[in-house]
Amino acid sequence: MTLGPGVFVVKKHPMRKTLKYVTLFVALLATVAPIYWMSTISFKHEVDQFAVPPKWFSFSPTLEHYADAFVSRSFGQYLLNSFLVAAMSTLCALLIGTFAAYALARFRLPRNLDRKLALWILSTRMFPAIVTAVPLFLIMRDLRLVNTRVSLIIVYTAFNLPFVVWMMRGFFVEVPRDLEEAAMVDGDSRLGAFRRVVLPLVTPGLAATAVFCLIVSWNEFLFALVLTQTDDAMTLPVGIAGRVTQYGIKWGAMSAAAVVAMVPILAFALVVQRYLVRGLSLGAVKG
Amino acid sequence: MTNERLHNEHSHERILPYLLIAPTVAVLLALSIYPLIYSIKISFQSPSGAATLQNFTRLFSDQFFLSALAHTFVYAVSALTIEFLLGLGLALLLNSQIRGRSVWRALLLLPMMLPPVVVGVVWRLLLNSNFGAVNGTLKSFGVNTESLTWTASPKLAMASVIIADVWQWTPFVFLILLAGLQAIPQEPYEAALVDGSTAWQTFRHVTLPLLKPAILIVLLLRTMDLLRVFDHIFIITEGGPGFATETLSLYIYRTAFRFSNFGYAAAMSFVLLLITNVISAGYIRMLRAREA
Repeated sequence: MTLGPGVFVVKKHPMRKTLKYVTLFVALLATVAPIYWMSTISFKHEVDQFAVPPKWFSFSPTLEHYADAFVSRSFGQYLLNSFLVAAMSTLCALLIGTFAAYALARFRLPRNLDRKLALWILSTRMFPAIVTAVPLFLIMRDLRLVNTRVSLIIVYTAFNLPFVVWMMRGFFVEVPRDLEEAAMVDGDSRLGAFRRVVLPLVTPGLAATAVFCLIVSWNEFLFALVLTQTDDAMTLPVGIAGRVTQYGIKWGAMSAAAVVAMVPILAFALVVQRYLVRGLSLGAVKG
Repeated sequence: MTNERLHNEHSHERILPYLLIAPTVAVLLALSIYPLIYSIKISFQSPSGAATLQNFTRLFSDQFFLSALAHTFVYAVSALTIEFLLGLGLALLLNSQIRGRSVWRALLLLPMMLPPVVVGVVWRLLLNSNFGAVNGTLKSFGVNTESLTWTASPKLAMASVIIADVWQWTPFVFLILLAGLQAIPQEPYEAALVDGSTAWQTFRHVTLPLLKPAILIVLLLRTMDLLRVFDHIFIITEGGPGFATETLSLYIYRTAFRFSNFGYAAAMSFVLLLITNVISAGYIRMLRAREA
C-alpha cells in the first residue's frame, strides 16, 4: 500500500466524523427546540411567556393554562370528540377495508379487474381535500348532519379506506397461500380459514394500520373545520384554530391544548416506527 | 366431499371476492365519486341556481385567483427545493457509519407526525415578533431584529409559512430517501472503489441513478401535498397579511365558506385538481420510463 492516499484518509477521518455529529446535532436541535419551546409556554406564567430574551429553562412552572383550557373552556369536550371520531372511523375503515384487501390479495378476477379496482381505490385518495370538502359540506347540510360527530366519522372512514385496503393487501400477500389451503382441505370454509388462520398472522399489520388511521383522523383539520363548528362536535384541531384566529390570543391555553393534541401522537409514532416507510409511501399521516 | 358440495364451493368462490369488495366500492362511490359529480354540477350553476359558464370564465379575470395560483407555485417550488436538498443531505449523513442511527432517525422524524395545526401553533409562537423565540434568540446574538416582523410583513410571511412546511416535512423526504439508500446493494460501490472513483463521482454515477425511483416518488408525494397546502397557513397567517400567503386551497375555502359562493369554489377546485393530475402524471411517466 502506498503511503499517500492512506495518510490522506487517516488525516481526514476524525475531522469528518466530528463534522458529521455536529451537523446531526444541529438538525436535532432544530427539530426538538421548537416543540420544547411551545411546551414551555403552556407551563409558564404570563410574565415568563413574554420575557425577552426567551426563558428556556428558568421559570416557575404552573398548570393554570391546562385548567383554563380543559376546565373553564371547552377543550375537554373537543378532546372527547377527537377521540370518538378517530376511534369510530378507524374501526369502520378496518371493518370494511380488510375484507376488500383480502379479496384483492387472494383472488384473480377476470380482465384484470382486481388490479384495476385496487388502483381505482388508491386513486380516490389522491384528490386534494378541498375538492371534496366543498361538495361534502353541501351534501352533509342536505342530510342535516353538519355539526355532528357522525358526519366526521363517515368522512374519515372513506378517507382511511383506500389506505387500509392497500396496507392490508400488502400484509395478506405476505401470508403463504398454502396455510389457508391446508385449513380448507381440513374442512374450513374460505372465510373460516381467513378467520382462524390468516387473521391471526396479520394482527401486527392490522394494529399498525389502525394506528396510522388513528393518526390521520386525529390530525385532520380541513374537513373538521368545514363540518364541525359547534362545541359538541368540533375536534381538537378546530378548537385550537378557533382560539388562534380570534383577537387577543390566550397563548397559554392554546399551547396547553396543542401539547395535549401532540402527546398521543408521539406515543403512536413510537408504535409504528417499523412500518413508517410502507405506511408513508401510501400517504398515511398526511391528509 | 360430494360433487354437489364441490360445485357449491366453486360458485361461492366465484362471487365471494365481489361480496368482500362491494362495501368498500360502495363507500368510495358515495363519498369520493358522488361528491365529485355533485361538484361538477354546482360549478355550472350561478348562486341563484341557473345554468352558467360564468364560474369558469371568471377564473381568467379574477386577480385574487391568479395571485393565489402564483402564491401556490412559489410556495410549492421553494418548499420542495429546500425539503429535497435538506432531506437528501440528512439521508446521506444517516446512511454513513453513525452510532445510534435508529435513535437519531426516530427523533428527527418527530415533526412529520404532529397535527399540522399544532405545527402552525408552534411556528406562530416562535415567529411572534414581540416575544417569539426566533427573534429573541437572534437578539441575544446581537442581531437587529426590528425589521424581522415575520408574519406581519408580506415578504417574510411567505418565508414564515415555507419555514414551517420545511420543518414539518423535511423528515418525510429524509425517511423515504434513507430507505431508498439502504436498499442499494454494496457491489456497485465496491466496483467504484476499485475503479478509484472520487466520492463525488461515486455519488453522481452510482448513488443518484440508483436512488432515482425513490427521489421521483418522494417528489411526487410532496408536490401533491404542497399544491393543496392549507392547514398550517390557516393557523400562521390566515392567508395574510393582505393576500400575501393566500394559496389556492385557502382562497377556495374562503370563497365557499365565507362568501358562500359554492359554484365558483367548485370551479376553482377543478383547476387545482387538473394541475395536481397533470404534474403527477408527469412524474409517473418519468417513473415508468425508468422501468422500461
